[in-house]
Amino acid sequence: MGSIENLVTQIQGLSGSVDDIAHLHNILKIADESLHAEPSALSSVLDQVDPAKHSLGYLYFLEAFTFGPVSKEQALTLIPILARFINCCDAQQIRFAPDKFVSVCKRFKDHVLLIESPLRGVSPMRAAVRKLQTTSEHLTTLHPDFLLLCILSKSYNIGLSVLEDDIFDVDQPRDLFLYCYYGGMICIGQKRFRKALELLHNVVTAPMNTINAIAVEAYKKYILVSLIHYGQFSTSLPKYASSAAQRNLKNFCQPYIELATTYSSGKIAEFKVYVDTNREKFDNDKNLGLVKQVVSSMYKHNIQRLTQTYLTLSLQDIANTVQLGSPKEAEMHVLQMIQDGEIFATINQKDGMVRFLEDPEQYKTCQMIERIDSSIQRIMTLSRKLNAMDELMSYDPLYLSKVGRERQRFDFDDFDTVPQKFPI
Amino acid sequence: MASSSSGLTFKLHPLVILNISDHYTRVKSQLHPPPSAHHCAPAAADPFAPPPPPAADPPRVYGCVIGVQRGRTVEIFNSFELLYDPATHSLDRAFLDKKQELYKKVFPNFYVLGWYSTGSDAEESDMHIHKALMDINESPVYVLLNPSINHAQKDLPVTIYESELHVIDGIPQLIFVRASYTIETVEAERISVDHVAHLKPSDGGTAATQLAAHLTGIHSAIKMLNSRVRVLHHYLLAMQKGEIPCENSLLRQVSSLLRRLPAIESGKFQDDFLMEYNDTLLITYLAMLTNCSSTMNELIDKFNTAYDRHSRRGGRTPFV
Repeated sequence: MGSIENLVTQIQGLSGSVDDIAHLHNILKIADESLHAEPSALSSVLDQVDPAKHSLGYLYFLEAFTFGPVSKEQALTLIPILARFINCCDAQQIRFAPDKFVSVCKRFKDHVLLIESPLRGVSPMRAAVRKLQTTSEHLTTLHPDFLLLCILSKSYNIGLSVLEDDIFDVDQPRDLFLYCYYGGMICIGQKRFRKALELLHNVVTAPMNTINAIAVEAYKKYILVSLIHYGQFSTSLPKYASSAAQRNLKNFCQPYIELATTYSSGKIAEFKVYVDTNREKFDNDKNLGLVKQVVSSMYKHNIQRLTQTYLTLSLQDIANTVQLGSPKEAEMHVLQMIQDGEIFATINQKDGMVRFLEDPEQYKTCQMIERIDSSIQRIMTLSRKLNAMDELMSYDPLYLSKVGRERQRFDFDDFDTVPQKFPI
Repeated sequence: MASSSSGLTFKLHPLVILNISDHYTRVKSQLHPPPSAHHCAPAAADPFAPPPPPAADPPRVYGCVIGVQRGRTVEIFNSFELLYDPATHSLDRAFLDKKQELYKKVFPNFYVLGWYSTGSDAEESDMHIHKALMDINESPVYVLLNPSINHAQKDLPVTIYESELHVIDGIPQLIFVRASYTIETVEAERISVDHVAHLKPSDGGTAATQLAAHLTGIHSAIKMLNSRVRVLHHYLLAMQKGEIPCENSLLRQVSSLLRRLPAIESGKFQDDFLMEYNDTLLITYLAMLTNCSSTMNELIDKFNTAYDRHSRRGGRTPFV
């Protein structure tokens, strides 16, 4: 007991400058064992230490206090304490002991899930993520937990705001897989299929030694979203996908690949039959909703294909080609697509003709200039990062050893008259 | 130095400035070859090493300026180099006469108007040379070029001096007085001088470096235009607030300048201009995309070579 009092005074004393905190951190590390030994005594101590100013000490106490399984009632009392701590702790002090912080937050998430109200955890977890990140391009272990809470509480918007950041640093590869998978699900929920496709693509092509379950599930969703968004799907993975993925992913997702081939034939009736026969499998994977969206997207893609052949078409003809029931349905579909901005057309109500138009964007406005300019800026920063990574890769000893073995006799530049790269 | 009261107006052609500068540069570079590697070793350590090149005492070059004098206007068109004899502190007279004869054959209208030299300020010894030239031309001009580069200075480092008889301490003496001048160009002259001034190295690098050099030139020109316009703007604001007395002649000049631009202002021009601007931006964007894709491709190849069978976990994830 006396040692804990000691610690409290030390914490209160040494929470000033950065050196003090480093010193304090060392003391706390040594005292950690004793803290874990008597967790119950810590509850009174927690009041004496201020979470905002003495975040590091509070963190250690809290971590020892919440160690071990808890029941629902205990979880209910713990949650406000944890939420308050996460919201007002000092980010700089926390970063001295990131793994403790991560375990505290994970426990918080477990408690919140235990009492089945994930919404209470969304906002504190978001604060936790922001505090743990060193830069906005850093992916921490807390990101997937945060996204999981967003999905479970259906608050997709908050998740989207975190997904907007580009990621360049990753702590653990498993974090990346989970983050991209959950992120893809959130984007699907918000109907932002392009971003969902991007995230799921990341999961599928990430380097992996052996196939893992996250990648398999992601691949299934990837096929479906690709059909919804693009209307087509190619089974070949790009060359930067790991060889393990390229060989094995297809074996686990057989029904989906057949679904894709049926889709590409364009016959809606057959497609629906196929969906019905394999309904159970899709349901087990919890992808049935997505599959239904694929069915409705088939009409859209067929109509879009029509815009490339015809300039004007009557509603009756559209209905016949796309295998819809009646011109009324065709009109509804076309109207919806015009509103979503997927095609450019005008419907003439009098004679039921649809006239397909070109993209009216003239690229003459100042807003377009600003858009392109900002894209150019983004790509310049990206280019710099890529060049840095490329250089880093060239010094890598593993790479150099492999390349040294297979060097050709003649220098490649002897034959090459075109410059390899254009310096910017 | 007082300013001239002779009432002569001087017009200087840019060819003269280029000639003087060229003469000076050539002499300087031939006299001081670039320092070699061993010049930094202390002289005491190696008594057999050649002495370091002389410290920067810039050489003075001398020459003659020729042109036309019509009434009160003196127009300096051309110049040529002369030999300076440091022993007698005078210019080589025979050489000057021979050159003058040769130039007379080609340009019968041009007379010797004076002489030029380089340096930061006119010196007493210059008066000898000036007096020596007085028998060719009663009142020669002295063109002085200051070769030291001063980035803060906005104007040309060229001054024109005349000689005047002033009474100082009871003794009538010839002293140099500054004269104001304007730069006068013919269109053809301007183009050729501009071309010469922007000479690029002969191998020019790739197309990229030439384009970069060209764009840098345009950028600095626009920057200078911008700063000058800002000076005018500031001046006009001060005049509006009443801090500076209103000067109508200046205001007239400013308003005539303003009426010269913009040259075109119409809806159709705006459309076309924006469309072309967008096209250029898109092409830049495309070029950057291609560049990035090429880097990415190389990076992925390297990654696959290094890590293919044994993918290492640890944050080396390619990003799409």
